Amino acid sequence: MTKGGNNWKVIRQYVLSAAVIGGVALLCAPLANTRTYHLVSFILLFVVSILSTFLGLGPVLLASTMSALVWNYFFIPPHHTFHIEKADDLLIFGLFFTIALVSGVLSTRVRRQERISREREKRTNALFQLTRELSKAGGMKEVLKVAAAEIRNHFGDEPVFLLQDGNNQLQGDEWSANGQQLTRQEKERGVRVFREGRKSGSGEIQSTTERYTFYPLGGTRISPGVIALKSSPPLTPEQESFREAFLTQVSNALEREFLGEMAQKVRFLDESDRLYKTLFNSISHELRIPIATIMGASDSILNARNSDEIHLALVREIFTASLRLNRLIENLLNISRLESGHFSVRTDWCDINDLVNKVTDELKDELKPFSLEVSVPEDMPLVKIDFGLLEHVLYNLLFNATQYAPGASVIGIRATYQDGRLLLEVRDRGPGFPEHQIREVFKKFFRGDGSRPGGLGLGLSIAKGFVEAHGGAIQVANAPGGGARFILSIPSETPDIFNM
Amino acid sequence: MTTNETILIIDDELQIRRLLEITLTASGYKTILAVNGKDGLVFSATHHPALIILDLGLPDLDGQEVLKKLRDWYRKPIIILSVRSAEEEIIRALDQGASDYLTKPFRTGELLARIRAALRSADGSPEATVLDFGSLTIDLVAHIAKKNQEVLKLTATEFSLLLLLAKNRGRVLTHKYLLREVWGYGYQEQTQYLRVFIAQLRKKIEDNPSRPSLLITESGVGYRFGE
Repeated sequence: MTKGGNNWKVIRQYVLSAAVIGGVALLCAPLANTRTYHLVSFILLFVVSILSTFLGLGPVLLASTMSALVWNYFFIPPHHTFHIEKADDLLIFGLFFTIALVSGVLSTRVRRQERISREREKRTNALFQLTRELSKAGGMKEVLKVAAAEIRNHFGDEPVFLLQDGNNQLQGDEWSANGQQLTRQEKERGVRVFREGRKSGSGEIQSTTERYTFYPLGGTRISPGVIALKSSPPLTPEQESFREAFLTQVSNALEREFLGEMAQKVRFLDESDRLYKTLFNSISHELRIPIATIMGASDSILNARNSDEIHLALVREIFTASLRLNRLIENLLNISRLESGHFSVRTDWCDINDLVNKVTDELKDELKPFSLEVSVPEDMPLVKIDFGLLEHVLYNLLFNATQYAPGASVIGIRATYQDGRLLLEVRDRGPGFPEHQIREVFKKFFRGDGSRPGGLGLGLSIAKGFVEAHGGAIQVANAPGGGARFILSIPSETPDIFNM
Repeated sequence: MTTNETILIIDDELQIRRLLEITLTASGYKTILAVNGKDGLVFSATHHPALIILDLGLPDLDGQEVLKKLRDWYRKPIIILSVRSAEEEIIRALDQGASDYLTKPFRTGELLARIRAALRSADGSPEATVLDFGSLTIDLVAHIAKKNQEVLKLTATEFSLLLLLAKNRGRVLTHKYLLREVWGYGYQEQTQYLRVFIAQLRKKIEDNPSRPSLLITESGVGYRFGE
């Protein structure tokens, strides 16, 4: 159909050029009988060269031939014959015909060259822009979006992508920017194209009857999938190769994303394998020690005759072991809540004094050997935080301090409110952290060089996770004069007290 | 102590049932054991226990469901004893009429204290006109509170808050409940009022406001008047 349209356009050009020459000749008719008929040849030459600036080669040839014949027939005496009497007229006619032909042909050729190089430039620009946009895109979704937008720009068509699942299977859903759906048959064709690596319709299947033509996206190492474009009439070789170059860029970008994702998966597996081993080793240790204590002590109570004093001491050991187990489980639960994202921060007004009292009360046995200094300003406003989560945070920081600081030393807690943030500081006079490890302390299962036995190395990463869930930050530094100093900063509004 | 009051324990874990039975019997209570929600509902009707200890993770019915069914007719204290520690779960149980909530693992001493508090507030004996908490006394008739024999200067709101908590001594009262009872229905979400007034009250009635022993915070849930 479009092909017919093209033919029609060409025919129109021929008709136009014939009509223009005929019209101009008619307009020049009054000059036929005068001695100025040479002027007509200039007018016709002028018209031919104008026509040659926008008509194709054929119509221009027609115009030059026709104008030469028309001039000869109607204007060169004797009129109404092709016979030319005068020798100089014959010469002028010959020159006219040659000039009309040459200038017409030359200017159309120049025009075509210009058009080709303009198109080439456009394509080069399009490819350049595509490459640039694709390289800016991060992540599969982003790349698809960019590719779809560029294809829409240059081919006027919304593409549909069918991507492989990482195991060379084309099973997932199709993707397009406007949510086009493929039928089952179409998907099957996509799968065939993916398997054969040849565009659909190139072989025995006639593509023009189908809604889409599928092109394989061939990468250098893996092929990311196929792309479906609305079927179109056959393209010129240049257009076809442009499309190919375009799709190659898209394929490469998709392949890059694919390989990136795969590499990340492998890294993730490595990481989780390492974590699994650490977890397994430390948990089995951390669980066995208190269980051994409980078993041993209770066995002794059941089977040996102990004095009341020893009996009580054994029971106390059992109690301590159970607290330790409880703490371990609490931390494991918290870290898995954090990792799985199955928790929400539910903020409510909180009196920081309340928080500090609550935690120091829970840890009163552990804090007994230390001198605790709590500083909360008189005018400390209420802050909006998740009490439960921050209780865990403060508990872990304080508990850590009690594990590392020497007896009778000072453990300090200081709260302030500054510039819309709650600042909470916990400091101890323990050994602090070696400078080379200070960046690592919030990592899961990190155990410092001088760590005491016991503990999984989860407390600080839980603290960090919960603080960050509040949109806050936690920092650690070695205090001047020795010891570790943790400062957490959480954005919070304060209530409008005057409203009460 | 020979109170001889009967306590129904609804819990599917054998070890917990055994531990509770030993502890409660040693403290002079009689115990009935139910291993699931259905038995629990039946025994509560047939044995008229003075108090029920209810686990939430039961094999047949959800504990919250059992609680709701019990509260259709059972007016005596129900203490929830569960591993579920999420604040919303606790608040839900308290809103549905649980008298108290304790999470496992628990300290038996704590559990016994909660049982005593719950039974005391339920015993229905005519209320004394003066509540005596050692250094703190509250005179219900004169509407005054005294600390070490000195009359405290309390605002009307402070006094009603203190009185509400003191009357329910040992029981946890949710933020919502306190706000509703003291400030009114429109104020249920205004927890900042509660924080400010609790802080003020602590300064006036506690021996050491930074180590409160009377107005105790239950994280994310509410407050309890200490024993």
